[in-house]
Amino acid sequence: MSHPSEQISAYLDGELHGQELAGLLEHLSGCGKCSAELEEFHQVRAAVRSLPVLELPENIVSEADRVVVPLRRNRGVWVGAAAAVVALVIAVAAMVTPPPTAVSVDDLSSRFGARVSLDPAFSPAKVVVPELNLVGE
Amino acid sequence: MRRLVAIVAVIVVIPASVAAASDLDDLLERSREASYSAEQIISCNTPDGLRDAVVRIAQDRGDIWIGSTAGGDLEVAAGSGGWTLLRGGDAVTTASVDSSDESVEPLYTVDDGMDSQFLGRSAMTYSLIRDGVLRAELTFDDVSGALVEAMTFLEDGSAFCKRVFISFDATPPNLTSVDPVEGVGPEDDAVVLTDLPESIEGFERLDLYLDDDGSTFAYYSDGFFSFAVFETPTTVTLPEGVVVEVGESVYERSFTAGQATYVWETGVGGMALVGDLPPDLHESVLASLPESETRGLLRRLWRSLFG
Repeated sequence: MSHPSEQISAYLDGELHGQELAGLLEHLSGCGKCSAELEEFHQVRAAVRSLPVLELPENIVSEADRVVVPLRRNRGVWVGAAAAVVALVIAVAAMVTPPPTAVSVDDLSSRFGARVSLDPAFSPAKVVVPELNLVGE
Repeated sequence: MRRLVAIVAVIVVIPASVAAASDLDDLLERSREASYSAEQIISCNTPDGLRDAVVRIAQDRGDIWIGSTAGGDLEVAAGSGGWTLLRGGDAVTTASVDSSDESVEPLYTVDDGMDSQFLGRSAMTYSLIRDGVLRAELTFDDVSGALVEAMTFLEDGSAFCKRVFISFDATPPNLTSVDPVEGVGPEDDAVVLTDLPESIEGFERLDLYLDDDGSTFAYYSDGFFSFAVFETPTTVTLPEGVVVEVGESVYERSFTAGQATYVWETGVGGMALVGDLPPDLHESVLASLPESETRGLLRRLWRSLFG
């Protein structure tokens, strides 16, 4: 046998009508567990309604701000997570995208050497031989 | 008898009078036209230590072949705007450029020369002085006009590089021709947007080249020493480079026998300086070029943190 706890809650809120209401009342009349649950709900409601009404303190706004802090922390976590995802995407893109080809200094030396060979001062004293020089280093 | 004396006098005087012209361009031009084979020692005292090499040289009317004496199969063929590195006779790297007819107003004064002997041959040694500072001593073979010895100096008078022939054969060599590649011509300054100065410490910007990849190459000369400055959209790799601080900036630097190379980044791309100028001029020249930024800052930060 199933116990309609949700319907009990709806009943207390005045949301049950017609056949649903009649069915619940019939069930309550024959089910001690649900009748006890209904009674507990009544007592909780009565206790809550008996609490005194308090005046709000003047610094309620700053107090409220303090209460909001955990929410901001949560937002920071989400922002951090989003940033991590973006960083991951960028890192993957960087790995997939071929890097710009670095220029070899040997290529530059050859262009310098070519231009020097047109210089009036071109001579064995000016020839650029970086590769060969490594032999003697 | 008087006729014989006159003929002998002409034979003796002609080489000496040509060499005594004492004009740097004339001396170097005559040297370019010489034909010979030789072995040359290059020894440079650089801020990063001694750099030396021994190479074989064959020159014929402006074209020069250089090979290693260490048994390697690498050779360099240079001349007429071309530069080719060959391995086993096959071209590995090649470059070719044209030039404008821009020339440098001579900064050097050349003395009258001093008779000397070199490898048992008559020679003349000239001093090149710039701004009152002896920068080079060049020795030319009297008969062939070949530049057989070149000493370059720092501002304080100490030697920077010595290039000296240890053997010399004035027989014209039989050079193998290298297939020419199409040369890149210099651009009109007005067309190329560049922040490279027109003049740096007496070095005039003679030509400016623009490559298809957007890189710029400027060639500077003071009439004897020269260097090239490259601006590239990407970085420049210098495998043998060491990190050095020059002035207020940080660079990667490498010396080979006779050549200095600096590499740095400006934040918008890579830059390189390649040249044979003496090290005491490096700081002032580099300070006139776009400043080293990104990598320098990172490196300085790294060094400040970890030494």
